[in-house]
This record gives sequence, structure tokens and C-alpha cells, in this order.
Amino acid sequence: MERRTFLTTALVGTAALALGVNLYIPEHIKVNKALDSEHRLLFSILLPVFLDDALPEVGSLRIAAQNRTLDTIIQTISLLPADGQAELEQLLDMLENRLGLLVLTGSMTPLMMRKPDELIVMLEYWRNSFLDMMVIAYQGLRELVLASYYSCPEHWSRLNYAKPTFLEE
Amino acid sequence: MAIPDPIVEGLASGWKHIDASQLSQDQTLEADVVIVGSGAGGGVAAEILTDAGLTVIIVEGGPLKSSESFNMEERRAYPNLYHQAAAMKTQDKAIGIFQGRAVGGSTTVNWTTSIRTPRPTLDFWAKDKSVKGLSRQDLDPWFDKMEKRLNISKWEYEPNRNNQALKLGCEKLGWDYTVIKRNVKGCWNTGYCGMGCPINAKQSMLVTTIPAALDKGATLVSRAKVIKLEHHNDKISAIEAQALNEQMQPTEFKLIFKAKHYIIAAGAIHTPTILLRSNLADPHQLLGKRTFLHPTLLSGAIFSDSINGHSGAPQSIYSDEFVWKHGTASGDLGYKLEVPPIHPVLIASKTIGYGKTHASLMDQFNQLQVTIALIRDGFHEQSQGGQVQLTDTGFAIDYPLNEAFWRSVRRSFGSMAELQFAAGAKQVLPITEGAPYFNSWKEAKSAMETLDLGPLKTVVVSAHVMGGCPMGENTKLSMVDSQGNSHYYENLSVMDGSVFPTSLGANPQLTIYAMTARNATLLAERLKSSS
Ligand SMILES: Cc1cc2nc3c(=O)[nH]c(=O)nc-3n(C[C@H](O)[C@H](O)[C@H](O)COP(=O)(O)OP(=O)(O)OC[C@H]3O[C@@H](n4cnc5c(N)ncnc54)[C@H](O)[C@@H]3O)c2cc1C
Repeated sequence: MERRTFLTTALVGTAALALGVNLYIPEHIKVNKALDSEHRLLFSILLPVFLDDALPEVGSLRIAAQNRTLDTIIQTISLLPADGQAELEQLLDMLENRLGLLVLTGSMTPLMMRKPDELIVMLEYWRNSFLDMMVIAYQGLRELVLASYYSCPEHWSRLNYAKPTFLEE
Repeated sequence: MAIPDPIVEGLASGWKHIDASQLSQDQTLEADVVIVGSGAGGGVAAEILTDAGLTVIIVEGGPLKSSESFNMEERRAYPNLYHQAAAMKTQDKAIGIFQGRAVGGSTTVNWTTSIRTPRPTLDFWAKDKSVKGLSRQDLDPWFDKMEKRLNISKWEYEPNRNNQALKLGCEKLGWDYTVIKRNVKGCWNTGYCGMGCPINAKQSMLVTTIPAALDKGATLVSRAKVIKLEHHNDKISAIEAQALNEQMQPTEFKLIFKAKHYIIAAGAIHTPTILLRSNLADPHQLLGKRTFLHPTLLSGAIFSDSINGHSGAPQSIYSDEFVWKHGTASGDLGYKLEVPPIHPVLIASKTIGYGKTHASLMDQFNQLQVTIALIRDGFHEQSQGGQVQLTDTGFAIDYPLNEAFWRSVRRSFGSMAELQFAAGAKQVLPITEGAPYFNSWKEAKSAMETLDLGPLKTVVVSAHVMGGCPMGENTKLSMVDSQGNSHYYENLSVMDGSVFPTSLGANPQLTIYAMTARNATLLAERLKSSS
């Protein structure tokens, strides 16, 4: 299935259903977790927090920018050396399972069920932690998301930045 | 607009180039000299040895790219042209390291600043590090030669606004500053040096020494990662390399290189890594130790008018006001003040925070001036640098940041803020967790004392790697002699930034060019007289 459409058209995630509780799901996230081998669901929950105020306000543009960034994140991860990929994979896996979440965030509540404010609390907890592991988790995700977002020329207009055009002339 | 591409033209003219990703069987190649790495050291050595009539093979782990593929976008440049897609870090993740990985090495992506080795550095090496025959007087003819070869001259254009702020601040405060010499020919002043020069104006190894060597019959093997050196008694007998595919993953094919003489020029992190992996003699356990980075701090400043730090020669002014102020080896560690180019990924990732605060910083992208302080490491007894070590999967760099370092960081943040306010900044933001935007030098000055600094809090980066395979005459201090020849293997030399016994206190490329020019010339004479 084409990835970009996959996020917006697939059924509501099995992972979410399995929890059997009232979920907080951002409106555009309708994903089948079983198909989510690339952590797209997880990132799609973190993106609006990392990129708050940077993403476009208009709904459709916002979704497009998020999907574009998700694609780029996956591409960015594939460029990391094997060690870096393994570390990141471990972190992402932890964020996707309850025990891992408990260790990293002190709560088993899946990230999908946390409101943006709660996700900010989580990021701030890592960011200011006295444990290097937490700070590294925060910084790793932060760099990955921000670098992926700002690497796309489509996202440069807010910066009033464009590369020179002489090569196209 | 069509820009002549010397690589495309050279390949069409029949250069000997093997892209190891295209191999369908193992290969063995022979030459008089095999050079590992095609950066500042490898490139210069290749041209000189080929010129001397020797047959030369250059083995490069990275791909052969050229202006045709330099599209001025970080998303293409970093994965194609940098080690680890520009995301390399020290083991504790406290320092981000940029290193080139393509034909031309770091020179393909560097910012063109060209500085002769400072005299105090050479004096220190002579006095404390047993280096012989490397005074400025000895080296100056080689600087002259390489400056001519690489069109190095003072940048005569107006500095861009980012550099202009550095100049203005220095003028206002009465601080030392210098107009930078750059290695460019026909530069369009666009500001994209760090992504590969799209117009071939930068006189990197990619468009100068390597094409010259290939024109004269040298062979270039790209996407071939050298794994180890085979050795027997005091001779190197072969080099083994692994072919990489287009995604830079190992394929099933190997390459063996045989030569009379072997030069390792894989840069300061990888030269020690290769030598360690090869289990070469190292009786005093020096390999990989004393790796230096010029660990670099960033200070952002918001101006009311446009800075456009992405546009124009990235570096054209520097200040040495604080480099030697407290002596060479005693006192606080000195630091050099420069500016970096300002591009979206670089700035987004090397700043602090996320969400609203980060977005509002990025909203002021064009008003952002960035000053950097490069700390001169390796001279002081409390500045021993880092260590490159082998791991099961590759290598790791451990670089402890101690009290002496943080003292200098604090001072450098102060100097940068003072300079930026003097240049007219509205606000200054030291790039360290928890620091607020300061609205005046007075406010910044009083807060500097208590600024919470530390690993993983303060952003520390480096584009200069040096050391790890030091030169000198005393074998307790060095792996190679003062001409880059191994103390232990008669047909092995090292010609790159790894031979520096300390950092330089200046941007490294010109030192590597000049020292390699001298050492490769001496080696060529020796090899020719023995054949
Ligand atoms: C972004 C950036 C900006 C810079 N700006 C400046 C500047 O303005 N002025 C300045 O003086 N310096 C600058 N530098 C630093 C300067 O470019 C380097 O110090 C210099 O190029 C180092 O030369 P070298 O020969 O030691 O290594 P490099 O030039 O890095 O070359 C080493 C080569 O060896 C290859 N290699 C490594 N391992 C292997 C292996 N196992 N097998 C085969 N090949 C291998 C690498 O891929 C690389 O191509 C900058 C560096 C960077 C990254």
C-alpha cells in the first residue's frame, strides 16, 4: 500500500482497539498498527508536539506536512549507521510497549492516549532528567524530527529561506 | 546554466576509476603507492607522487560525486557527502562531529577558510612533542606552494552580514580580527560550500589534486572501505578493502591492494581506527588517544535587520583575540571566534528546544547571527582530548569534557555575547539548555557566571578532527616521525590530520596541505632513489 494514503485511509489501529478504552486520537491518525513497521503511528503523535507552531495551520496543509515529515523521518533513520539505528529502534520499541513506557515515562498510558499537554510534560521530564539516558532519548527524537522537517524545501517558506535558483536557470 | 564538471569530463576522457559498488568479483590491484583516503592529505599526496612518476592508487570509502549532484540541499548533501549522514556523535552523545565522506574527503564540504599553522603551535610541538624540522620557516615554502596550487588568497568581497557582525563587534571592542584567505577560484559567493560547491569554484581536492593525479594515470577506487593492513615483521604486505553498494552497505566483494609503499590518509578518526583494526605495533598504546576536536560552542543573536547567514562566503573573518591570551599550555584554554553558515537543518538541529519556542527561533531565521568559539584543545595538561576505540560494530569516540573545558566555555559564551551586542544584536541566546534570551550585555554578563553548563545541556559540535596517530621523534609520544613515516613499518606513512600532536588553534586544512606536500615530496624522492 502506498504509505502516504495508508495513514489517512486505513482502519483505526488494532493497537488502539486492543486497549479497549476511550482513546485520544488526533483526527487524522487512523492507522492499522499491525502494518506500522516503521513507527509512523508513534511519530505521528510526537510530530505535532515537536513541531507545534512550525506546522501550517490549515488542516490539509498540516496533514501533508506531517506526512511528508513522516516519510523523511523513515528515510533519515535508514541513513543512520547500524549502531544508531539499533539504539533508536530500541527507544521506539520501548515507547510502543507498556513496560517500556513505564520505564521511560513513569506511566503505562500509551502515547496515543496522552493529550498534547501530557506529551509536553513527558518531553520536559526527559529533557531535564538527571539520567543521561532520558536526555539522550529526548535529544535523539528532537533532532530526528526537527532535522527531517526542515530538510524539506516545502517547509522553508515560514523561514523566508529558499536555495538560490541559478542551477535551474 | 551549464557549469563545466571536471569529474564528468575527466571520466569521459578515460580516467581510471573503479566504483567498487559495481564490482561483480573480488579484485587485486597493484601500484607503487596505495593511498587510503582522498581528503586534504590523500589528495595532495596523490598529485605529488603521481607527478614524480610513481604509479598511484587512491582508495576512498565514500562515493565519487561531483557538482552535477550538488543541489544545495542539506537532505542530499549530508547522506551523500558526510560520515554518518552528518549525525556522528561522541559515545556519550555530548558532541556532534562533521566529517566528509566522499572523494575529496572533508575538503569537498568544507568552508574554505585557509590559515597557516600558528607559530605558538609549532613551537609547542618542537618543545614538548619532539617534532623536528617543522618551524614556520621550514613550512612557509610549502604554504607558499600550496596557496598557489589551491588559489588561496584573501577574500576581497565584502563579508556577508554574519561575518560582518563578527568584524563590527571586534572593531567596536578593539579586538583582534583577520580577513580570511579562501581556496576559491571564480567563487560566486553563494554560501553553499558545506553542501559541495555547485560551481566548482572551491579548490577542494575533488577539483584540483585528484583530477590532476587521474589525468596523469593514477587510479581512483571509490566506495571501497579499507578494513585492514596485512603486515609481516616490519613491512606492510597488502591492504584489504570491502566493496560498498550504493547505500554504502558492504557487498560480498573484497579488494586487495598491493604496493611498495602505503599511505594512510583516512582522517583523524579513521586512520587510527584502521591501524587499530590491523593490530599494528603500538608499544606505547598511543593509537587513537589524544584525538582533538576544537570543541565548538554556538551563540545565537537576533538582529533587527536581515543577516541572511546562508548567503555569501560562509567564513571570511575570524578573531584570535582569545586564542593565546593565557599562554600556550597554562591558564584557561584559548578559543578562536568565527561564524558558521546558517542553513535550516544545521540550525534546527543544533539549537535547543522544540514546539513553540523552537518555531519562534526559526521564524527569525534570517535575522539570526551565529558566532562560534572553537576551543584550542591538547596543549594544557587538563586537555588531553578524546580517544577513538574499536567496538564490535565499528568505532566509538570518547571525549570527556572536564572542568578546564567548561571554564573556557563559560568565558567564550561571555565573549560571544559581548561581541554580538557590540555588533548591534537585539538579543543573544547562548546555545545551552535553560539559557534565556539576553537583552543586553549587562544582563548577559551578570548571568554568565551562573549559566548551567554541561554535557548534553550545552550544544558542542566539531568539524575539525585531529590527532590519534601523532608525529614526533620520541617513540613514547609518537607513532610516526616528523615526516609522517611509521616508526615501526618501513613502507608505511600517515599523511592527514591524525598526525597532529595537539589541535592547531586554527582551521586545519592548510596545515594538512603544506605538511603533506612536504612529506609526500620527501617520500617521492626516497621511493625513486630506491627503485
Ligand atoms: C563541514 C566542514 C567544514 C570545514 N571547514 C573548514 C574550513 O573552512 N577550513 C579548514 O581549514 N578546515 C575545515 N574543515 C576541516 C578540514 O576539511 C579537514 O580538517 C581536512 O579535510 C582533514 O583532512 P584529512 O586528510 O585529515 O581527512 P579528510 O579530508 O576528512 O579525508 C579523509 C578521507 O578518508 C576517507 N576514509 C575514511 N575511512 C576510510 C576507510 N576505512 N577506507 C577508505 N577511505 C576512508 C574518508 O571518507 C575521507 O574521504 C571543515 C570540515 C568540515 C566537515
